[in-house]
Amino acid sequence: MSDALHLTVNGERHAVRAAPSTPLLYVLRNDLCLNGPKFGCGLGECGACMVLVDGRAARSCVLPVSTLADHEITTLEGLGDGERLDPVQDAFIEEQGAQCGYCLNGMIMTVRGLLNADPAPTREAVVAALDHTLCRCGTHQEILAAACRAAGLTPSAAQGEPSAPKGEPSATQGETE
Amino acid sequence: MNPISDARTPDTDNDALRYGVVIRPPVYRLDARAFVCSQLLHVDREALAEEGVTVVADGNFVGVVATSHEAARRAAARLPLRWSTPDRDATAVGPAATDARLRRDYQWPGRLAWGAEPDWVIADFIDGGLRLAGPVASTERLRGELACLLESDPQRIHIDGDAEAGLGRQGSDDAAADAALLARAIGRPVAVRLDPDPYARDAEALARARRLRVSGTADGDDFRVDDDLGYVSVPPLALWLTGRLTENLLRDPDAAALQFTFVQESFLDEVAAALGEDPVALRLRHIKDPRGRQLLKSVADQAAWDHPVENDGGADLVRGRGVAYSHRPSESGDAGSGTRSAWIADVEVNTVTGGVRLSRLVAGQDAGADGPLRPLLDATPLRDTLERKLLGLPSSPPPADDWAAPADRKLPAWRPSSPPARRDAPGTPALSEGVDLSPAVAVVANALYDATGVRFRSPPFSPARVRAALEERARPGKRRWWWAGALAVTGLLATLWPFRPSIAPVARPAANLYSAETIERGRLVAEAGDCAVCHTAEGGTVNLGGRPFETPFGTLYSTNLTPDPDTGIGNWSYAAFERAMREGIGRDGRHLYPAFPYTDFAKISDTDMQALYAYLMAQPAVAAPAPQNELRFPFNIRSMMAGWNLLFHDPAPFKPDPSRSAQWNRGAYLFEGAGHCGACHTPRNLFGAEKGGDARLSGALVDGWEAPALTAASRSPAGWTEQSLFEYLRTGRSDAHGVAGGPMAPVVAGLAELPEDDVRAIAHYVATQMDAPLSDPAQSERAAAVVAASRAAPVGQEAGQRVFEGACAACHENGTATFTSAKQALALNTNLHSQRPDNVIQSILGGVHAEGVAGAGEMPAFVHSLSDRQIVDLVQYLRARFAPGETPWKEVGKTVADLRREHDQQ
Repeated sequence: MSDALHLTVNGERHAVRAAPSTPLLYVLRNDLCLNGPKFGCGLGECGACMVLVDGRAARSCVLPVSTLADHEITTLEGLGDGERLDPVQDAFIEEQGAQCGYCLNGMIMTVRGLLNADPAPTREAVVAALDHTLCRCGTHQEILAAACRAAGLTPSAAQGEPSAPKGEPSATQGETE
Repeated sequence: MNPISDARTPDTDNDALRYGVVIRPPVYRLDARAFVCSQLLHVDREALAEEGVTVVADGNFVGVVATSHEAARRAAARLPLRWSTPDRDATAVGPAATDARLRRDYQWPGRLAWGAEPDWVIADFIDGGLRLAGPVASTERLRGELACLLESDPQRIHIDGDAEAGLGRQGSDDAAADAALLARAIGRPVAVRLDPDPYARDAEALARARRLRVSGTADGDDFRVDDDLGYVSVPPLALWLTGRLTENLLRDPDAAALQFTFVQESFLDEVAAALGEDPVALRLRHIKDPRGRQLLKSVADQAAWDHPVENDGGADLVRGRGVAYSHRPSESGDAGSGTRSAWIADVEVNTVTGGVRLSRLVAGQDAGADGPLRPLLDATPLRDTLERKLLGLPSSPPPADDWAAPADRKLPAWRPSSPPARRDAPGTPALSEGVDLSPAVAVVANALYDATGVRFRSPPFSPARVRAALEERARPGKRRWWWAGALAVTGLLATLWPFRPSIAPVARPAANLYSAETIERGRLVAEAGDCAVCHTAEGGTVNLGGRPFETPFGTLYSTNLTPDPDTGIGNWSYAAFERAMREGIGRDGRHLYPAFPYTDFAKISDTDMQALYAYLMAQPAVAAPAPQNELRFPFNIRSMMAGWNLLFHDPAPFKPDPSRSAQWNRGAYLFEGAGHCGACHTPRNLFGAEKGGDARLSGALVDGWEAPALTAASRSPAGWTEQSLFEYLRTGRSDAHGVAGGPMAPVVAGLAELPEDDVRAIAHYVATQMDAPLSDPAQSERAAAVVAASRAAPVGQEAGQRVFEGACAACHENGTATFTSAKQALALNTNLHSQRPDNVIQSILGGVHAEGVAGAGEMPAFVHSLSDRQIVDLVQYLRARFAPGETPWKEVGKTVADLRREHDQQ
C-alpha cells in the first residue's frame, strides 16, 4: 500500500517498497542483501545491527525506514573502497579482534562512527563509545586493542589504563599477547 | 498552489529578499544609570556559511540572514556564540528623607509595547540610502538615529511606515534598526519579523529607562523633582549594542514634557486623593495662570465633571474619570505664553481581563498669545491612539477564525527599487499635528485610579499589567454553590422532554458544490480538531470509526465519519451536521455522548463549520458499521443526556475578548474550539463533564495516559516558556522538556498541517494559562542543574539500574552522540516528575512511535521483552535517579499490570 521510499546506501540510491515503520535493518538485509549488519536483540540494546547514518553510528533495528529518506547510510560493506579495507577493519585484523564474529559489525561501525566525530579520541572515549555494544564471547581485550590501534593510540594506552568495558574483570588485563 | 500551507516562503517571486533574525546578549538591560550588557567574546561567522547563512556581528549586535524566516530562526538557535557575564550593577536608591513631605517614585519605560502582533519590517540599503517599510513611525528622530547607526545622511533615509509617533516608542523602532544593519551588511533587502523574541524581551530590558522621585508638601504645594535617573529618549537597541550611540540622541523635549506631566499630574492626583479633595478643585487652586484656569474650567464643564460616572453594579466592569493639565512654556519663555492643555477621560475597566476602554475623552488646548485658541479638540482620533498605544488594544483585530497566515496578509510585496532619492515632504506625524499630548498618559492613570483604586506609577496600562495589579489587590471571594443545585432540578425537569426530532436525510452534496479553497479550509479545521485521531481505529482506515474509548460509564466506540449514506454521515444535511457538532444530537435525533467533544466544537465559527462539512463530504465514502457501545445501565439511556447538556453544556459561540491581542484570541479560538484541548487536559467530574474553576486544565487521565496540567501547576522541572511551548507543539519536542508521545503525538502531527502563526497563537494562549514567560534566560541554567543532579546513580536501586543499563542506556545515556541516541535528557521529562507513573510505563510498554512528528524520535516497545517485575524496578530507578526530589511512586506494580493488559489486547 505504501509508495516507494528512496534510500541512499553506500553511495547508491535504491527504491524500496516497505511500510514506513519497517526497521531499516530489515530493508538492508532482506531487500538490499547487505548482511553486514546483524539482527541481535531487535531493541537497540546490543549494537550488532550498527550502521552509519550521515557518518554517525546508528542502531538500524530501531530506525523506521521512513525517517531516513534524506540521509546517507553506510553499512559494513560500504566502508572500504573495494580495493582496500577501512583502517578500522585493518586494525581489527591486525589485533585479531574477533571470536565468533557476530558482534564485529557493531564494533567496527561504532569505532568508525567515533573516529568520524573525533579523529583522535582518548582511551576513555573509545571505551565509552563501545560501552553498549555487546560481545558474548568475552573478546573485549582484543576488540579494545583493535579499537585503540584504529584510533592511533599506543599499545600501552590500550593495555595499561585503568578502565575496562563494563562487566569485564580487570584481572585479565595484560594476558592477551 | 495551496495558499495556506506553511511552505509560504515569499521569495518565490521575490528573489532578492532575505530574512533576518537578531540574537540579543544573554543579559542586557537599561538601568537608570547605564546600559548593562554581556560582551560578545567570540562568534563563529563561518559556522553556518555552508547553509547559506550570513552572520552579521557589530559590537554586541549579532544577527543572521538566510533565505527564509524559518532557516534564519533555526540558524539563530544554533549559532555558536560566547558571551561574558556583565558585572552586577549596584543601583543606589536615593537616601530616604525623613521630613514630612509626600514622596513618590515614578517610572517611564523605554518602550510602550513591543508591537501589537507579529509583523514585518523590511529594510533596503542602497548606495548609502535606506528605505524602510513596515509598522514604523516615520519621524525625524528615528531618521536621525538610523543615520547615526549607519553613518549615513538623515535626508537619505526614507521610511514608508504607518505607525503613530506620539506618546512613546515601540519595538518596531528596534526592528527597523536591526533590519537596517543587516541589510547594509549583506547588500540586499532584509525582512525582520516583530516577534516576541527578541522584541518583547527588549521592551522588558528597557522597562526601567527613567526613574523619577518627586515630593511636595501634604497639600500639594512646592512640587519638585528630588531625583531624576535615566534617559528621556531611548534610541533603538542596535545603537546601544554597537556602541554608536551619541549623547545628542538621548534628548527629546516632547517626550520630556510628556513624562514630566505624567509625574506631576499623577502626584497631584495622589495628593487630592490623600486630602479627599476634588482633583479639579485642587488644580484650580494651584494654577496661577488665568488662561489655564479658564481652560480647565471650560473642559470640566464640557465633561460634566460635577456628575461623576456611575458604576451600575455590573460585576466585572468598573468605571472611573480622571483629569490632567499641562502648561508647556513657549520658546520665548514669557510667563503668559505657551501651550496649556486640559484633558478629562472616562475609562471602563474589565476587572476580569484587565482590558481598559476609553469611553470618553474631552480635551482642550489653548496656545495663548502664541497660537490659535483650540478650546476643544476632536478627541476621537486621540482616543483611538491612546487605546492602541497606551492600553494595548488592537485597532481592528482580524477575526479569530481567520485561517490566512498573518505572513500572507502582512508581508508587503517588496519591489526592488532605485536608490532612495532625497525626501521632499517631511514625515507625517499622524495625530500630533499641533496637538500637545503632554496630559495623555496622566489623564488615563488618574482615571484608572478613580475606577479601580490602584495607582499606576508607570505606563503602559496594558491588560496584562492592569489585570496583575487588580489581582494583587483582590480579596479571595466566596464560591457560590447554590446554582448547581438549582440547575440540577431544572435538568431533571428537562429530561422529561428529552426527545429531539430527526432531520430528514439528504443526498450527499455533489462533489463540485464546494470550492477547493473551502475544502482546504475544512481540512485545516479537521487537522486542528484531530477528527481522525478518535475516528480511526488502531491501524484502520482514516475516519472509519471503531476506536474504543473506555470511560467510567462503559466502553464507547467512535463512528464512521466518511460520507457513506448508510453507516457514515453521507445523508446528513448541513443542519444535521451542525446540530451534532454544536448540540450533540445525531441526525436521527439521538443524543450523542460527550466523549465526542461537542461541548468544545460549539465554539467553532459558522464559516469554519461549513468548511469542515464540505471537507468531510468530499472524502471517499466507505461502509463500516460502528460497533455497539457497551455502556452500563442507566448510562445507556441516551435521553438522559438532555439533562446533562442543560447542566454542563454551553452552546454559545466563541466570543473574542476585545481587550486581548488578535494572537491571543486566535489561540483561544483554536484551543477552546476545534482543538478541544480541554477535553483531555481538564479533569472531569462524576458526571463526566469538564470541571471548572481551579480544576480547569489541571491535568487528567485519558485512555491510560496522563494529560499533564496546562496551568501554573505544571510539574515540568525546567519550566515552560511561550517559546518552548511553540517548539513542542511545532516539532513534537522541546529541549527543556520532552517529546510528544501517546495521544499527544497525533495532535502534534495535526498541528504540523497548520500555518506556523496558528501554532504560535496556541502556544501564546497556553502560555497565558500557565503564567509562562515568553522566554526565560534562567531556563537553561535550571535545566542544566536538573540534568547535573541526575548523573549519580541512586542507592538501593541496583535491580532497576541493571535493567536500565541493558535496555535503555545505549540510547538514553548521553556518553557518545550517535544518530540513534535519544537527544532528550530524561531528567527534564515532565512525566518522570509527575505524580503518576502512567506515561512512563506506557512509553516503556508501547515505545514511542510518533508518525508524522519529526522531533519525537522512535523508541521500541518493551512489552514483550521486560517482565512486570523488571518494569517496576526500572520505573522506580528512573524516578529515583531522574526526579530525585520527588517521592517514589506508589502501586507501580498494579499500574504496570493494568496497562499491560491494554497492550496485550491490541
